[in-house]
Order: sequence, then C-alpha cells, then structure tokens
Amino acid sequence: MPYKADISRKNPGCFLFLVDQSESMEDAFGGAGGADGSSKADELATILNKLIHNLSIRCAKSDSIYDYFHVGVLGYGEDTCRPALGGELAGRTMVPISELADKPLRIEERTKKTDDGDQTVKFPVWFDPYMKGSTPMCAAFKKAAEVVRTWTEEHSTGFPPIVINITDGESTDGDPVPDARTLTSLSTEDGSVLLFNIHLSSTAGDPIELPAKPKKLPDEFAKQLFECSSPLTPFMLSRATELGMTVEDGSRGFIFNAQPMQVIHFLDIGTRPANVRLR
Amino acid sequence: MTHKMLHLAIEQFSCPKLGNSPEEYEDAWSWRPLKGNEGHRIAITDGATESSFAKLWAILLAESYTRGVDTGLDFFDTLAPARRLWQRRVSTRQLPWFAVEKAKAGAFAAFLGLHVDCKSQNWRALAMGDCCLFQLDNAQPDMRVVQLFPLSHSSEFSMGPFLVGSKVDPHPMHEHLKVIEGSLRPDDMLLLTTDAIAAWLLKRHEEGRPLWKWLYRRLRTTEDFAGLVEYARKNGLRNDDLTLVRVLDRSPVQPPKEKA
Repeated sequence: MPYKADISRKNPGCFLFLVDQSESMEDAFGGAGGADGSSKADELATILNKLIHNLSIRCAKSDSIYDYFHVGVLGYGEDTCRPALGGELAGRTMVPISELADKPLRIEERTKKTDDGDQTVKFPVWFDPYMKGSTPMCAAFKKAAEVVRTWTEEHSTGFPPIVINITDGESTDGDPVPDARTLTSLSTEDGSVLLFNIHLSSTAGDPIELPAKPKKLPDEFAKQLFECSSPLTPFMLSRATELGMTVEDGSRGFIFNAQPMQVIHFLDIGTRPANVRLR
Repeated sequence: MTHKMLHLAIEQFSCPKLGNSPEEYEDAWSWRPLKGNEGHRIAITDGATESSFAKLWAILLAESYTRGVDTGLDFFDTLAPARRLWQRRVSTRQLPWFAVEKAKAGAFAAFLGLHVDCKSQNWRALAMGDCCLFQLDNAQPDMRVVQLFPLSHSSEFSMGPFLVGSKVDPHPMHEHLKVIEGSLRPDDMLLLTTDAIAAWLLKRHEEGRPLWKWLYRRLRTTEDFAGLVEYARKNGLRNDDLTLVRVLDRSPVQPPKEKA
C-alpha cells in the first residue's frame, strides 16, 4: 500500500512549495484592493512563514529540533524559477527543518489579537513577498522535478515528496500538464510524488475545493490545474473531512479560486502525510 | 475472611524505540512499597513523543502517584506541585525560540497507577490513556485472563488517546479517567505495560497465541526481554518505547497442614 511510510528522522517527509511571483500577485485577494493594502503576495508570504513556523514547532523536541521534514520554497516569475528562501539559506532548494528553524531571515515583532487584548509575539520570517513578470509554471514544475529527483534518490524508502504549487494565474510558458506528469512520475518505494495546486482568487467567486471531477471547473486553465493535481491520500481525505470540507474518493489536491482561509486549510491537509504518529 | 499476606516481587523491563538512544526513551515508571510491605504503589507512564520535555513530565507524573496516597480519581486533583515543578525546570533553561513556543503547549503522557493492598489482597487501578493492566491467574496450564484495563482489545488503540497534560487542561478530563478494582489470589500475575507492547500482547492473545505463560515463567533477565522485543518487532510490534512491569506473588509455599 502506498503512502504508508512512517515519518521519522531516518525517513523524513519532504515539502516543496512553488510560489507564483508574477506581477498579478500585487493585487489583493478577490480582485479588489485589500482593506489594509496587503497584496496576495503579502498574505501568501505570511501564510507560508506561519506554516514553516508551525512545522518547526511541531518538530521541536525539548531544547532541540528533530529533522522530521525537509522543506524547500521555489519562486517563479520573470521567466524563471529559483530558490526563494532568503538570508543564510539563499540559493538552497531543500533545507532540513532544524536548519530552517535556526536561520530565519529575521524575527519580527507582530501584534496578535487574543482574548486578553493585543499581544506582541515573535514572528520569524523566512520568505518575503516578491512579484515581477509572468507565470512560468512549466519552468517551475521542471525545477521541482530536478529538486525532487535528487531528494528521492537520497530517501528512496520514505514518504514521497509533497509539492504544493500556489498560483493566481495561467501558465505563460505553455501547457503545464506534461511537466506536472513528469514530476509526479517520480517516486519512492512508498508511492509517487504528490503534486497539489492552489489557485488564488482574483475575483469574488466561490471557491471550488478538492474536486474529484473537472466538470464544474469554469475554464481550460482550471481544468489544466485539475489535471496537474494528484488525488489526496486516505489520511488527507480524513483530515479534510475533519476541517469540514466535502470530499469523496478521488478528490484531488486542488482548490480553485481560494481565499486565504482555504489556503491555510489546504496547507494543513497537504502537509499531513499518513502515519505521523503524534505520540 | 482472612487472607495470608501477599509477598510481591516487582520487576521492570524496558527498551527504547529502535533507532533511538536510551536518553530518548520517554516512558517512566515508579514503585513505592508501603510501610512493612503491606502494600505497593506502582505507576507507569508514556510521554507523548510529539510534546516537549515529555520524559520529565512522565517521570514527575509517575512519582506523584507513588508518593501520594490517593487511589481514585482524586489523584488527578493533586497534580499541581508536579505541574509547577515541570514548569520551573523548563522555564529556567535557555531555549531557542521554537523550543519556547513548543513548551508553551506543555507535555503529555498516558498514565496507569496501581495500588495493591497485600493484606486484603485487593487492588485498585486508575488510568488515563492507553497504558494497560493485565491480570492473569495461574489456575490453568495456559493461564487465564482475569482482567484487562482500560483497553481490552488490540483494535482499541488509537493515534490520539486523551493524555494527562503538564498544564491544566481547560477541557473536562473526568470522562476520560478510568478506575477499576479487583482482588489478587496467590500465584496471579499482574502486568503493567505501555501501549505498543500492550497492543501486541493483546493481539497475540486474540489470535490464540498468548505469551502469558512465557512472561510468567521464562522472563527473568533484561536479555530475555531484549529477545522478546527482537522477536516481537519482526512479528508486528509497532516501533515505540516499550515498558513492562511484572508483579508476581512470591509468597513462601506453605506446607500442607497435617490432619490431626
């Protein structure tokens, strides 16, 4: 049975995030200007930084941190795809979680609303928003395949890598489906690489979450992304149900027209491989 | 009815998760004989791997039970000193940001406490989580299961049991607490185990291939236990920290009374 490998320090999990850095990411979610002037790129950077923060805490063990996960962030825009982590990790494509936790770009102080009023909390930042040029998604999938191939060769018995592509627009360097298929043809002994896609909303329309069929998708671009997306594992399906999302057998790791809350929920589902025993 | 006083032999066997060092072992146990060996208090705990400083909490929790006097649910209302000590030991350390954040959530452990009164031969156990107690009698050649507590089938072991936290839990925990009472007869065996080995022993029992007799008669040394673990790992035992405490009656055999 695929997707059953335990996640351990010997067999870590691997998450690779592909982040659209095209110009349209400067707009706010839903198309209109954000209330606080924040763009999709700003909100996405906050969501990703929080995710790395949460993964670091999940792996923290007393005064150290266990390398249960390796994480990479690639940005694509300006006709190219490149590593997007900053500071000491600049240029790195895949980093063990302990090193990520040790080397944030900076630690900011942000205000968090609590029941007792506003509280100042430390907010580590690994990834800054950036946007320029077009949406070279084919280049992103090609680069992802390169990174993932190396990783699977080094971790042949582990849970296969999970690649999460986050974009707000159409691929500008061709049909991404063949490159996506090349990426998901890579595998470990536990199964093929999982590729999930989140399309960020540029309009006020309702999101389409985790579809099993492409029928209700509005256009060719959405159908392309559906074709690029892997089915969720049984464990991920059950997590999605816990989060109140409607799923069925064959539901794919794809959200169309996502608002920030859907992005957060989806990242929660997509970064939970099976058999991570919480004890 | 009067009973002869039980003389219990209490032995502990343990093994860290395969691939982990002994320092990473996060189960704990504690045992305190009561005055004049008239009774014994034993606790076994299993620190949650995903929480930080779980070993420290597992030790403090087990010791809280054996140093205390409560045998029922009141025990869980006496944890404030152990919780304060856990907090003090953690907060006085210089920790990186992620360790500080993780420690804010507290540590968690499964718990099983057993109080045996050797005079009345009665026992009382309480549990939260999936550490298990087995009582077996030696009346039949294959030994008979008298009691399974708090779980009685291998399918009941889940990924997320309710555990005892080092922070006061805002959710009511009483519905997750379990208490049971029983009585011991000479020659009975009690086993207290953490979850992985409990699940494996139960599975063997359900399949009609129980190991009770081996545990009663053949388990003597840490090498014996290591051999069992090696065999079990090849035969379905989940890779986890393992702890087994065996309680046997070693009362001297009385010669039969001669008829007058």
